[in-house]
Amino acid sequence: MLRRDWLSALSCGSLIVWVGCRGHQYGHLLSTKDENLVGSHTAGAEVFDPLVDESIAKLLARQQEPNEECPIGPDGYPVKKSVCFVGVENKMAEDIGDFKDQLYEQIDSNILESNSFRPISRRMVEAALYETRLRPDSLMIPDNMRLFTSVLQRDGAPIDYLLFAKLTSGTTKRNTSTQRDYLLTLDMVNLHSGEYDKQSAEIRKGYHKTAMGSIWNYNPLKR
Amino acid sequence: MRVPRHIGSSAPCAFWFLVIAICGLGSGCSTHAKRIALPRSLFYEGQIEQCRAELEKLQKSHRHDRDVANLDLAIVDLVDGRNRQSEMRLKEVRERFDYLEQTSVTEQTVSMWTDDSARSYAGEDYEKILLRVYLALASLMGDGVDAESYTLQIQEKHDAILSRLGQEQEPAVEAGEDVDEGASVSDGTPLPATVPLPPSPVAVAPTESKAPYRGIPIGFYLRGMLREQTHQNYDDALRSYRIASELIPDSMPLRWDIERVQNSVHSNPGHGVVYVFAMVGRGPYKVEVAELPTSDALLIADRIVSAVGKYSVPPTIAPIKVPAVMVPPSEIDSVFVTVDGQRIGPTTSIADIGLLAEATFLASRNTIVARAVARRVIKKATVVTAKSSMGSNQWTSLGMDVAGVAWEATEAADTRCWGLLPRDIQVLRVETPTGTRSIRLHPSLMGQNLGAGQAIDVPVYDGRNTYVLAWFPDAHGNCKVQCSESLPSSSPVTLRLGAGN
Repeated sequence: MLRRDWLSALSCGSLIVWVGCRGHQYGHLLSTKDENLVGSHTAGAEVFDPLVDESIAKLLARQQEPNEECPIGPDGYPVKKSVCFVGVENKMAEDIGDFKDQLYEQIDSNILESNSFRPISRRMVEAALYETRLRPDSLMIPDNMRLFTSVLQRDGAPIDYLLFAKLTSGTTKRNTSTQRDYLLTLDMVNLHSGEYDKQSAEIRKGYHKTAMGSIWNYNPLKR
Repeated sequence: MRVPRHIGSSAPCAFWFLVIAICGLGSGCSTHAKRIALPRSLFYEGQIEQCRAELEKLQKSHRHDRDVANLDLAIVDLVDGRNRQSEMRLKEVRERFDYLEQTSVTEQTVSMWTDDSARSYAGEDYEKILLRVYLALASLMGDGVDAESYTLQIQEKHDAILSRLGQEQEPAVEAGEDVDEGASVSDGTPLPATVPLPPSPVAVAPTESKAPYRGIPIGFYLRGMLREQTHQNYDDALRSYRIASELIPDSMPLRWDIERVQNSVHSNPGHGVVYVFAMVGRGPYKVEVAELPTSDALLIADRIVSAVGKYSVPPTIAPIKVPAVMVPPSEIDSVFVTVDGQRIGPTTSIADIGLLAEATFLASRNTIVARAVARRVIKKATVVTAKSSMGSNQWTSLGMDVAGVAWEATEAADTRCWGLLPRDIQVLRVETPTGTRSIRLHPSLMGQNLGAGQAIDVPVYDGRNTYVLAWFPDAHGNCKVQCSESLPSSSPVTLRLGAGN
């Protein structure tokens, strides 16, 4: 057997061993410029982040408009409205897993950062729900609402508004491709007058079995 | 190293044949099933310390058994109340199994000249889910801080397994759909949590489905249980209970759970909830069996090849060995729960591990047998190639056939598995007034209580869950019952409770 054969056999063997070995997992930090990954099967940060930003921006913009009913504080600025953010309800076809709590925190933080509202601490809301044993979806029943607001008031957190967030989705199927429209709706109810404001943001997303699916289904010639 | 320019052709072949044969002989005949027999019997006899010592010894002496021994040690720790230690072991194996999910061509190649035990064991699919289930249970028995994360990981792993198997994802459950009319309560009043339950319903056998893995209800059940406890995320709880209910359509308690999270609340004021998780029966394990029909067929084939070929092929005298799943018969089918002397009901199945193990094995059996046949063919081909290269005479050929048969006889089936799992994981939810409650658990068969059972005092907190973990491997053996340490620190209402209680 020639030396060349030995060396080629050795190279092939080394290659097989190298290719055949298991790899390790690595992580890296993303900068603010890096775009979110686009989920291949379900919605992720690429959907939820813009939904939250848009819906909150719309709601705050409307609420910051000058209003005759809005009381003015001693400093000459409108008094901040006290808002109780009850929670995020998921009515989508997808499970959002660990995103739910993050959505709550994102919305809560955005409200806090605005100058129009004074949100109630999440822990106080949870404690009031626990104490009253009320379901979040039953708070609009007048007796339940009175009980809930009285508990918060007793704990030093009187509220003017209840805020509900709801995620919904609509699915359209075309052979192996699917389009899913994600909608985040923010419902804000004035406890004193009963008036409500509603703002929503929508993102549409397509899921395809092949890489060409998006081009095939979403081109101007395809109608 | 200087490589000679020319090497004789027969010498290296003989050398490599010798090396491979020695490697094969080195793999040995001992199986994991034989090595685990003693620790397993010690565990069921209640000799926990001796069992732990044996498992630790096995972990050190057999490199390829390390992970499964660690899993068994995690169960031993959990039974012994060492929740933190158990959690650490399970986390370690979780990382290992995730790493070993990648294919190693090197290991696969080596296993073709030895046997399947040369491959690292990455766990069966159901074991990967149960690993995370036990992580959640271990956490709940301790501070409960990570329990919710583990339930999310169960779901993540479930999705990954389905994706890998290329199965069509189950259509997502639409929240708000009507459930079975038979379980509905028209006026929306809370369903009593202490309704006497019917005898344990048998989970739908996964074998009824083509797919070897459909999901394990307990993972979704745990998620629903924890989300319901928040008093806020009833929609998440509903979604999880529905998936669990789809996996066990006959389970009446799951229908009650669905009804409760749709129309009622976690618990009435002044009440808390006790979840009894019962590990019922002795779990499945793998044994080595001879695959005789395939061995006979291969013997006929190699005799034909020997008759028509220039060189003889080692005869298939040693039978092909493959693993088989054994599910020991169970003396009990449920655990009957009594609270402060009041009969509540039996636990019901939420993860039938015996069925899961059998279904998983049946799905992979053909692959295992095919691999064993391919291994034999490769070994026989190696012997024939060696004979051909060496130009062996009759006596050398006979000697090499004998060596080949010996090489084949050293094969052992891969019987590694998580050996100390129970046959069935069962659960019962009891809503009860707050305070310390005396809970008695009786092993039960066909509705008849067997033995005196075991009692434990359980603290019940207002609006919160308390967890009881019970081990009943058989009717009269050593049962162990323990209760979660205290109110989980992650509780959103800990501060209020602390002030109120």
